[in-house]
Amino acid sequence: MSSHYEAPIRKPLVIGEKSYHDITVDVARPVEGRANKLWWTVFTIALVAFLWGVASMAYTIGTGIGTWGLNKTIGWAWDITNFVWWVGIGHAGTLISAVLLLFRQKWRMAINRSAEAMTIFSVVQAGLFPIIHMGRPWLAYWVLPIPNQFGSLWVNFNSPLLWDVFAISTYLSVSLVFWWTGLLPDFAMLRDRAITPFTKRVYSILSFGWSGRVKDWQRFEEVSLVLAGLATPLVLSVHTIVSFDFATSVIPGWHTTIFPPYFVAGAVFSGFAMVNTLLIIMRKVSNLEDYITIQHIELMNMICMITGSIVGVAYITELWVAWYSGVEYEQYAFLNRASGPYWWSYWLMMTCNVISPQVMWIKKIRTNIMASFIISLVINVGMWFERFVIIVTSLHRDYLPSSWTMFQPTFVDAGIYVGTIGFFFVLFLLYSRSFPVIAQAEVKTILKSSGEFYKKARDNKENHQSLNH
Amino acid sequence: MRTIYKIAALVGVSVLTTSCFNKERPNYQFMPNMYESVAYETYSESPAFKNGKEGQLPAEGSIPRGFTPEAYPNTTEGLEQARANLKSPLAENEKDLEKGKELYAIYCSVCHGAKGDGKGNLVKREKFLGVPDYKDRELTEGGIYHVITYGLNAMGSHANQLTQHERWLVTDYVLKLKSE
Repeated sequence: MSSHYEAPIRKPLVIGEKSYHDITVDVARPVEGRANKLWWTVFTIALVAFLWGVASMAYTIGTGIGTWGLNKTIGWAWDITNFVWWVGIGHAGTLISAVLLLFRQKWRMAINRSAEAMTIFSVVQAGLFPIIHMGRPWLAYWVLPIPNQFGSLWVNFNSPLLWDVFAISTYLSVSLVFWWTGLLPDFAMLRDRAITPFTKRVYSILSFGWSGRVKDWQRFEEVSLVLAGLATPLVLSVHTIVSFDFATSVIPGWHTTIFPPYFVAGAVFSGFAMVNTLLIIMRKVSNLEDYITIQHIELMNMICMITGSIVGVAYITELWVAWYSGVEYEQYAFLNRASGPYWWSYWLMMTCNVISPQVMWIKKIRTNIMASFIISLVINVGMWFERFVIIVTSLHRDYLPSSWTMFQPTFVDAGIYVGTIGFFFVLFLLYSRSFPVIAQAEVKTILKSSGEFYKKARDNKENHQSLNH
Repeated sequence: MRTIYKIAALVGVSVLTTSCFNKERPNYQFMPNMYESVAYETYSESPAFKNGKEGQLPAEGSIPRGFTPEAYPNTTEGLEQARANLKSPLAENEKDLEKGKELYAIYCSVCHGAKGDGKGNLVKREKFLGVPDYKDRELTEGGIYHVITYGLNAMGSHANQLTQHERWLVTDYVLKLKSE
């Protein structure tokens, strides 16, 4: 301990006089306890929303896409808006677990498990949209290059929509593997604590016989690092590919080279906001305030602020380039966004995405839980509108004025969106009651370096030995 | 032992998934969205028509574009007149003995024989008799055309199989056979 150097400026990441056992107990408590009434209430609401979404999807597939508000000019609206929104939300999870791992950020350890769960659950939601927005979803398997009896008819690899298939499916599978390997020691912990034979059986299956030997841990760390190294380019490329859906088109307002980084920044922005939303609630209801501290929230707010500023710069860049380009279509596209029939969505987006993260410069706000929670919701609304604005305002007025039109969503559009939110929360609520929501194995590795109790003990000791040091 | 189980399972699944196919019926289809025609297809059956057939007769007396009604009626007098007066409308450059030979081989030689000697396959096998040799008959191009168009005695009309132009080509070829 005395040989350990840790800058005194660093604030503790684990609050209170915690031992390893305390961490175990705190993490296992929500899993081992019984769900309370509040959980059941929220779960029921989420389930009802989910079922409503299932009904809307069944109605769409059974009756046709015409049940949506799309028209011949606007072939993409809420479907792809929600798709990009959900994919974007998913990105924070990978960013937290992979990029922050590469940057050796210890504060990620308390939040990475839930962030990754959020990734997986939101990518699942996103993955629904490419299927259900198809006119003939039962032929969706045609997007896969499978040898077949049509003279081995294959897909065209030039379409970003096909890249989406590869991007999203790879992203989901890598995230799932990354998440699950991280879960092994924690499942093993639950397995070893299990009292009933049923839970014992379940967690011994889930933990894959993890026994925590030195060799296992060594390889575990290596795998984590390699997966983090793989997931980082993945997280950047996935949303880049999603942005290619628009950037590779010829539509004024879509055909922009700024989209790949700008979409990724927006994804991280909205994803961190969602993590904040979820964790602010979770730390309260699962009594994890000692692990998900105000410092975690502050750091997430800072990332929101940084990525929000990147997004802001991107907005200004787009506007500047539109003016600088001298292309009247491009200029009109942005004029239409600001002052056309969808002006409200543009200004709502601008307010939510540009102004709200800027208040995070004020320490009082970014360290205020209530303010963080509200802003995180505002950001998610704003980011939904960003995708809506990009998609709909670019489509509803482009080259031919005779093709100008408006978009009006139907209750089916809304029902599917609500359904995915419900589905997301169904999954997340089930997760939070059956999975260790904090990577206890990882938090235990920082307890002695970043725990409040140990930090104080070290400070006291160093004060005594200050002459030697 | 495990491998045997696996193989057995695989065989079982393949038998299950393929055994439902009955060779005497059309096979099962996956989502036949546009397999069945919405429009009326030629030769299809449909209750929309009185006799249930898609092929309805045109109104009598109507003349389709590119078609000239036959000049001589389907009667003995018509045949006589055609023999005497009907001439081939084909110009010299339109005559095509090769094409005529092909058509003759398809529609005529099974009875009349490849050489026009009345010794076609059906005659040789004695399915029926009484097909004359072209050389024994007085033939004019108008008469040949008339016979192909309407038939004569045991011979049926070939107007269904051959267009007017093709009938003249065959007529030419028949005259050539006779001259040989």
